[in-house]
Amino acid sequence: MKNIIKFILDDKLTEIDFFVQSEFKSTTTVLNYLRALPNHKGVKEGCSEGDCGACTIVVAEIGGNNKLIYKTIDSCLMFLPMLHGKQVITIENIASNKEQLHAVQQELVEANGTQCGYCTPGIVMSLFGIFKNYNKPSREIIENALVGNLCRCTGYEPIIEASKKISEYTKSDKFFEKEKNTIKLLKRIKNNKLISINNNNQIYFKPFTLSEALKLRNENTDAIIVNGSTDIALRQTKKNEFLAKIIDISDVHELKYINNTDDCHYIGSGVSLENLRKYSSKKLPQFKKILDVFASLQIRNIATIGGNIGSASPIGDLIPLLFVYEAKIKLKSLNNERIVEIENFILDYRKTDLKQTELINEILIPKYNKSYIINSYKVSKRKDLDISTVHGAFKLKLEKNKITEIKIAFGGMSAFTQRAKYTENSLNGKIWNRKNIEKAMKVLYNEFTPLSDARSSSEYRRLVAKNLLLKFYLETKQ
Amino acid sequence: MTKLIHHDIAIKHVTGESVYINDMLVSDQLLLGKVVYSKYAHAKIKKIDIKNALKVNGVKAILTHKDIPGENQMGPVIHDEQCLAKSEVKFIGQAVVLIAAENDFAIKEAEKLIKIEYLQLDAILALETAIEKNNLIAPYRKIEKGNVNKALKKSENIIEGELNINGQEHWYLETQTALAVPGEGNEMKVFASSQNPSETQAIVAEVLGITKNEVEVEVKRMGGAFGGKETQGNHVAAWAALLANATKRPVKIHLFRDDDQIMTGKRHRCYGKYKVGFNNNGQINAYKVEINLDAGSSTDLSMAILERAMLHADNAYYLPNVNIVGIAYKTNLPSNTAFRGFGGPQGMAIIENAIDRIARFLNKDSAEVRFLNFYKNETFNITPYRQIVKNLRLSKMYNNIIKSSDYFKRRKQIEKFNNKNEFLKRGIALTPVKFGISFTTTFLNQAGALVNIYTDGTVLVNHGGTEMGQGLHTKILQIAAKELGISYNKVKISATNTSKVPNTSPTAASSGSDLNGMAVKNAMDTIKKRLIDEIIIPEFKKLFPNCILLKQNIVFENNFIIDKKNPKNKIPFNEIIKIAYFKQISLSSTGYYKTPDIYFDKKAGKGNPFYYYAYGISVSEVEIDTLTGQYKLLRSDILHDVGNSINEWLDKGQIVGGFVQGVGWVTTEELKWDYKGNLLTHSPDTYKIPTINDIPKEFNIEIMKNIPNVRTIYKSKAVGEPPLMLAFSVWLAIKDAISAVGNHKIEPEFSLPATCEVILLSIEKIKNKF
Repeated sequence: MKNIIKFILDDKLTEIDFFVQSEFKSTTTVLNYLRALPNHKGVKEGCSEGDCGACTIVVAEIGGNNKLIYKTIDSCLMFLPMLHGKQVITIENIASNKEQLHAVQQELVEANGTQCGYCTPGIVMSLFGIFKNYNKPSREIIENALVGNLCRCTGYEPIIEASKKISEYTKSDKFFEKEKNTIKLLKRIKNNKLISINNNNQIYFKPFTLSEALKLRNENTDAIIVNGSTDIALRQTKKNEFLAKIIDISDVHELKYINNTDDCHYIGSGVSLENLRKYSSKKLPQFKKILDVFASLQIRNIATIGGNIGSASPIGDLIPLLFVYEAKIKLKSLNNERIVEIENFILDYRKTDLKQTELINEILIPKYNKSYIINSYKVSKRKDLDISTVHGAFKLKLEKNKITEIKIAFGGMSAFTQRAKYTENSLNGKIWNRKNIEKAMKVLYNEFTPLSDARSSSEYRRLVAKNLLLKFYLETKQ
Repeated sequence: MTKLIHHDIAIKHVTGESVYINDMLVSDQLLLGKVVYSKYAHAKIKKIDIKNALKVNGVKAILTHKDIPGENQMGPVIHDEQCLAKSEVKFIGQAVVLIAAENDFAIKEAEKLIKIEYLQLDAILALETAIEKNNLIAPYRKIEKGNVNKALKKSENIIEGELNINGQEHWYLETQTALAVPGEGNEMKVFASSQNPSETQAIVAEVLGITKNEVEVEVKRMGGAFGGKETQGNHVAAWAALLANATKRPVKIHLFRDDDQIMTGKRHRCYGKYKVGFNNNGQINAYKVEINLDAGSSTDLSMAILERAMLHADNAYYLPNVNIVGIAYKTNLPSNTAFRGFGGPQGMAIIENAIDRIARFLNKDSAEVRFLNFYKNETFNITPYRQIVKNLRLSKMYNNIIKSSDYFKRRKQIEKFNNKNEFLKRGIALTPVKFGISFTTTFLNQAGALVNIYTDGTVLVNHGGTEMGQGLHTKILQIAAKELGISYNKVKISATNTSKVPNTSPTAASSGSDLNGMAVKNAMDTIKKRLIDEIIIPEFKKLFPNCILLKQNIVFENNFIIDKKNPKNKIPFNEIIKIAYFKQISLSSTGYYKTPDIYFDKKAGKGNPFYYYAYGISVSEVEIDTLTGQYKLLRSDILHDVGNSINEWLDKGQIVGGFVQGVGWVTTEELKWDYKGNLLTHSPDTYKIPTINDIPKEFNIEIMKNIPNVRTIYKSKAVGEPPLMLAFSVWLAIKDAISAVGNHKIEPEFSLPATCEVILLSIEKIKNKF
C-alpha cells in the first residue's frame, strides 16, 4: 500500500493518506497526531522522551490465540505508521458514556487520585492496561505497571489504593463486549502488504515479512532501522534530527519468536522487552531482575531486544549480562547469514559490527548448568525508569572453591560495555575467598576510567564497580 | 458540612476533559511562539542578526529588546531582570529573541537562521565562588535574641559545622504556558498558567506600555505549580503578549520540557554554617547560624525566601540565645524562585542536622533530644523574632506518634539488624515541622471575592486564588455551598480572572483557603444580610403570619431558608432569589479579607509575622546497601495538624503529595551543572523525581483530630507547604543508617540530597577511619 495506513480510533476505522494529509509526516508521533485532532486533547505531552507517561495510550492488537492484547505505550515514542492494523484507545474512549465512567476512572476519583490532573490521563490509561491484563494485580504488578507514570502532586498513595480496587470488578467492559467486532475490523485492514510512505521528503517503509525487510535493507543501505522506535524517536523529538529514510521492522512477525533447546534460548530480535521479561521470569531469572527495572512498561511494550542491542548504548542495560552469558547474535542479509559473539558485535560508542545490508535476526543465549553462578546488578540514582550509573554482570565457575572460569562485564564504566579482563585474570585459578576478592577489588577499581556526568562522578562509578564484585562474592556464599 | 467531597474537577480529570491552556481550541489564526535563549552564562551581546530568519515561510514576527513597546525591565519585587536581554546575558536560558510562526517547522528553521554574536565574560557559577567574592544581591539580614557568643562560651558542649543543600526543580507536569489574544485597540487577554494573575497582568501591561485596565489575565487551572509559577509564569505571558501585540494574532507559547528546566529558576541552593552550644542532656543554649542562598541572576523573590529561611532557622525548637544571619548571592544561573516551603526547608534542614549531631555526640536518641528542645507552653515559647508560640501541640503529637510508630521498639530492632548485617544497614529518624502561616510581607495577606447569584438560584464564585491541583476551588465551593445552604451542584467556581477580582495576592504561602475562603464568606455575609433584611423577613411574615421570625433563627440549609424555631416554616432558596430579583435587590457582592494582628519589622528582625503555626511530625525507616549507596524507604508514619479540616481528603492529598515531593528533594533529585553553567540534569532522563516505587513500603498517614485552629475559616489550618518538610525524617534516617557503619561513633559526612553517591562516599570515608 502506498502512503496509506489504517487503524481503529474512536471505534471507527480511520485511514490516513499521507499523500493527501501532508500535515502529517510519516515520523509524526502518535502523540502529536492525536493532539492535532480537536477531540483528543486528553493525551498530554509531559516530556517527549518517554520518561513521564503523561502521553500513555493503549494499543490493542490481535494476539496469538485470536484475542486482543492490550498494551500501554508512550505515544510520544511511537511513529504514526506503527498504528497500522491496530486499535488505538485513548482517555476519551474508555468511559461508556457521560454518566458511566470506566471502573478504573471511577476508582481513581474515589481514591482522590487526581490533583492537578495533567498526569491523570496517562495514569488512567496505565490503570486500564492493568485492568485488561490482570485479574488480581499484586502491589508489585501495580507498581511495575505505573513506574512509567510520573505524578508530582499526589505522592502516588491514592493511585495505589485505586489500583487495588480494580480487581473487585468483573472483567467485562465495553471493550470486552465489542472484542469480536474489533477483531473482525482489524482483520479486514491487516493484509500484511508492504507500506511505503513518501511525503515531506521522507521515506518510510513498513514491511511485515522478513524477506521483504531484507530486500528493502539490501536496496536502502542508507535507511535507519526501527525495531520499536523508543530510541530512534528521541533523535527526532529531542535532537531535532531529520530522519530521511526509515525501515520499520517492528511488525515483522517472523522476528517475534522465543524458542529454546537443551542448551540455548533463541530469541527473535523483534521480541519486546516486556515479552522477554515474562519469558525470563521462569527461564532466565537473571534477565528478569534486570528487565524488571528496565525503563517502564510503556517502553518495554514496544522496545525490542534487537533494538536494544542494535543501539549499542554505552549502558545498554541488557548488554553486560549478554556479555557474560556469551550470547551470540545472528545477523541476516538478503543472501547471507552469520553468527557473531556479542563481544565482537559491540565495537564502540553506539557502534556495532552490523553491515549496511544486515538485520539483527536472533539472539542466542546459551544455557548454563548449575556449576555456573551468574548474576548482575544495576545501580542507578533512582531504582526504576533510570539508566544504570553502573551495571555489573558476573559469571563464575568453581571447582573445589577454586575459580576455573570467571567473566565480568560492565556497562557505564566506559564508552561501551566492556569486560574487566585484568580483574578476571587476577582471579582466575585463585581460591574464591574474601581475601582474594579484596585484592581483585583493587584491580577492578583501577581497571576503568569512567566519566563524570549527570548521573554520577567517576569516583562513585569506580567504587561501585569494585563493590559489586564483593556483592557478587557475598551472594555466592549465601 | 460534609468534610469528604472529591476534587470538584476529578471526573473531568479522569476523562481527559479538563482543559489546560495547551488544550484550548483556538482559531486557525493562532501562531506558535518560541523563545531563543542565551547559550552563555555571562556574555556581552555584540550583534543579533534576524534578517534571514524573517524570510522563512510562515514566520510572522521576530522580536528583540528593541521591539518592546513598554518597559523591558521587569521583576516581581525589584525590576532587575530583562524581558529580552539587551546588551548582556546573565545565565544560560535567558531570553534574547522571540519568534512567532504558523507552525513548528518554520520556528525551527527560523531559529537556525538567527545569529547572535556574543563576547564571553567571566561567570560566577558556584555558590562557593559567589560567597568568596561577596557577590551580594542585597544587604544581609539578621535576627538576634539574647547573647549568643556569651552563651556559647558558657555551653558545656559546642558543635560547629556546615551543610550543603542543593536546589530542586519544580517539575510541574504542565510546563510554562501562555496564550495571548489581542483585542481591539490596546486590549490584551492572556490565558496564563500563573499563581499570580494580578502580577502577570502588571507585567504584561508594563512590557506592552499599556495600562492595567487594558489587560485581562485568566487562569483556569495549572497542571501543577509548586511555587514555580508564582513569578516565573509571568515571563512566558509577557513574551506571548509581545508577539500577539506585534502580529495582532493569538500567540501561544508552551515551553518544551528541556527548555523549561533550563530557563526557569528552582529552589535556592544553600550553604549553611552553624555553631551550637548545648548541655550534657542535649538542651540547646545557643545557636549561631549563617544561611547563604544562591539567588541566581536576579532578585525575584529571593529576599522574602531568605527571610522565611531565617524565620524557620529554629524549626520547632526553643533557642534561648540565637543569632541568625541570612545572605543572598548573585550568580550566573536562572533566578531561583519560590518552591513549596519558600526557604523554610533550607532553614530547617540546618538545625535538624545540627540536632542529629548533638544526639550522636552525646550518644543519645535523636528523637529524645528533639523533644527536649521543643517549644513548650509558658516559659519556652518565644521565637528568635519574639513571636510567642501559642496553642502548642507538638508534645502531644510527639507522644502520639512515638506510640503509633513503635519508635523505641523499632530502634532496638534496627540495632539488632545492624549488628547482624555487615552490608545492609537500617536507620530511623523522627523529625518535627513547625511552619509559620502568613506572607511575611504583611500587606500581601489580603484577598478578594466576587459572588454572583443568578435568577435560577445557581451561584458563580470568583475569588483571587488559583487552582493548581491543590483543591482550593473545591474548598471554596464547600464554603460557598455551606454559607448559602445549597447543594454543591448549584455552585460553580469561575476561572480566576483579573477583571472579576482585582489586585490579588499570589496563591502561595499555603494561604489560598485561609484568605480567599474568608473573602468568599465575607461576600456571602453581605448578600445574606441583604436577603434577610429585604426579602426573607418580609416573605416569612407574609407566608407565616402567626410566627415571628427572629434573625438569629434564620438558617440557610438544604436549599431552603428555614426558621430554626419553626422548622416547618421554610422557603426554597431559589424562590427567595427570584423574589429578590423582582424586588430589585442586588444578587452580587464583593468580599474582602485581610489577616489581622500581624506585622514584621524586617530591619529589627522582630514582630508577629505569622497568624499561626501548622505542625507535623514524621518517623521514617530506611535500609541502605553499603556497597552501592542505594536505599529503600521501608516505612513512614506521619501525624499532621490541619486544625479542623475543611476537607480531609484534600488535606491528606497535600500531606502525602508534599511529603513525597520532599522525599524527592532529599534523595534522588539532583541538580548538576557543567563548568560553563549548562544544566546537565535538564530532562527527566537525568533529573529523577520519585516514581510510584519510591514511596514508603508501609505508609501511615494520620490527621490530628479535635484540635481546632482559632480565628480562621471554619477553624481550619493551611496545609500546602508544611508536609514537604516532613521528609527530613527520610533524610536523617539515611544518615542514621550510614552512621551505623561506624557504630554511631563517627559523624558521617552528609549533604542534601542524600543520593546514592553521597551515601556511598560517606560510608567509604567512615570505613577508612574505622
